[in-house]
Amino acid sequence: MAVAVNRATQNLVLILLGGAVLRISAFSATYLNYVKPGFRPFLIGAGAVLMLLGVSGLVQIWRSKGTEADDHRREDRAHGSRTEDGHDDHGQGDRGHDGHGRGGHGHAHGGPRVAWLMCLPVFAIFLIAPPALGSFAAARDDAPRPRSQALTAFTPLEGDGPVDMKIGEFIGRAWDDETRSLSGRQIRLTGFVVPSKKKGQWFVTRMQLACCAADAFALKVAVKGVPAPPADTWVEVTGAWVPHGFEKMPAGIVHPELAATDVMKIDAPAEPYEDQSY
Amino acid sequence: MKSDTIWAMSHLHTGPRQPWADEDGAVPPASWGRDVPPGRSLPWGFMLVIALLVVGRFALAPYLTSAALQTWATVFVAICVQALPFLVFGVALSAAITAFVPGSFWTRALPRHPAAAVPVAGMAGAVLPGCECASVPVASGLMARGVTPAAALAFLLASPAINPIVLVATAVAFPGQPLMVAARFGASLIVAVLVGWLWLRFGRSEWLRIPSRPHGEGSKLGAFAEAMRHDLLHAGGFLIVGGLAAATINVLVPREWLTAVAGIPWLAVLVMALLAVLLSICSEADAFVAASMSAFSPTAKLAFLVVGPMVDLKLIALQAGTFGRAFAVRFVPLTFGLAVLVSALSGWLLL
Repeated sequence: MAVAVNRATQNLVLILLGGAVLRISAFSATYLNYVKPGFRPFLIGAGAVLMLLGVSGLVQIWRSKGTEADDHRREDRAHGSRTEDGHDDHGQGDRGHDGHGRGGHGHAHGGPRVAWLMCLPVFAIFLIAPPALGSFAAARDDAPRPRSQALTAFTPLEGDGPVDMKIGEFIGRAWDDETRSLSGRQIRLTGFVVPSKKKGQWFVTRMQLACCAADAFALKVAVKGVPAPPADTWVEVTGAWVPHGFEKMPAGIVHPELAATDVMKIDAPAEPYEDQSY
Repeated sequence: MKSDTIWAMSHLHTGPRQPWADEDGAVPPASWGRDVPPGRSLPWGFMLVIALLVVGRFALAPYLTSAALQTWATVFVAICVQALPFLVFGVALSAAITAFVPGSFWTRALPRHPAAAVPVAGMAGAVLPGCECASVPVASGLMARGVTPAAALAFLLASPAINPIVLVATAVAFPGQPLMVAARFGASLIVAVLVGWLWLRFGRSEWLRIPSRPHGEGSKLGAFAEAMRHDLLHAGGFLIVGGLAAATINVLVPREWLTAVAGIPWLAVLVMALLAVLLSICSEADAFVAASMSAFSPTAKLAFLVVGPMVDLKLIALQAGTFGRAFAVRFVPLTFGLAVLVSALSGWLLL
């Protein structure tokens, strides 16, 4: 004797999930920890639809009094109405009935228990409040990344002072820029700290999303010359590129290097992941 | 956190109106079913969930801070959040088909002969955008509407793999390699149609449980909302199962293991295919993941792209839940085998 999710609960679960989605998308920027910024309208839309479905369902239940009797009537109608479809020539109407006969799928009003699982993301969001991926994920992810595929010409760096640059752009210029535009310039990179196994260096890191945080990968630049701040601290590192001494990329994992002169602690940016375009 | 939640879930009860007999779902543990006095209409279980959320927020949250747990939760929530809009859209599409399209339309639109209906339904997948979590309810809606199961299955396999959004994503992920897009399209369509035909030839009706559609209040809009609620609760629950599994694998399996494997061609294809099954990434997103596996050969990547939208943990759970376990046990290995074979062949020919 098991328990179907009753009608009111189904709708309440939808409202709960919709509310959680709206909370992280419409009413805060938390969604940026999980997906790309452009995804916000879709999240708000999905959250709103879930809310609307749940609320309209509750209203419907509210209106129809004596729910028990009503449910049975509705159930009967659900069974009976199969024949109205007028396509029994394939015999599928009958098979549909068989499915019902086994009692398997007839939750015209009782939802599947697996629907309870939809509360799990809500628990994760409210109890764990998962942050943006940090040094734990970045340290795990040590596979070499595809080098910038759109090899558009790198424009020369302008101005005199340190140049603010995305880590992805730094890596692109370090490996693929034949004009060596990084040479002799002071560069300022923003990212979080990931400790390195090698002594005397650490990584200033940004995660980049392919699609969502489930397929994020780490963009790392090895920082030398300054002591490592604690892991996961957000920093601005200023320094000069250390040109690599090889013509062809060596096998294995290599990260471009920065001889740092200055490290400054900063607050975590609102948008934790690095945009692909640069 | 996880075990706490599961513990909590075992206490969630609501008034039963009908025994839960969805044996094929099999996801919730047996401990879920406990006797509750019948006839209760108050959502006690839901109140318990809320109470747990409020208490947990103050009592548990300060302790749930380990880096591994947080990373796991981030990946889990990211998968759910990323998939949800696609799921809602797909479910809305499926519900719209249920509510607004008369059943006779499908039998008229598709060729009368089942063998001809299969490739037509497969090609229809190229037009209708939908991610794989949505394609299951759409396909079940088609079957409930009288479409030959084999044709609906061809649509189920083709639609997430070859719709325009996915092809554009693939082209963006593999710039300068239009053959990758062509190979993905071709191989996926071939697999979908082959599986459809094989099902038509050898499939038995008792393997497949065709879900009934709930018919709501008389109005079309009411029926639409009812169908959508039904599909969302179903597909949504199983999406969560897949999200849990994928997040767990994502956090537990070291990626260095993968690069070590990439050196052996046949193993690389098989491993990428299995990886696609395990990771359960949405077809809209998988091209970027495949492109990032730079260690692997193009053929192995193609296997990833062909298998992923057709067979993965999330889909297996969804299909088993929707069509029954007897169906999934046969359909999943058949699709997986064909997908690996066809993508290896077309990779060898084209890439």
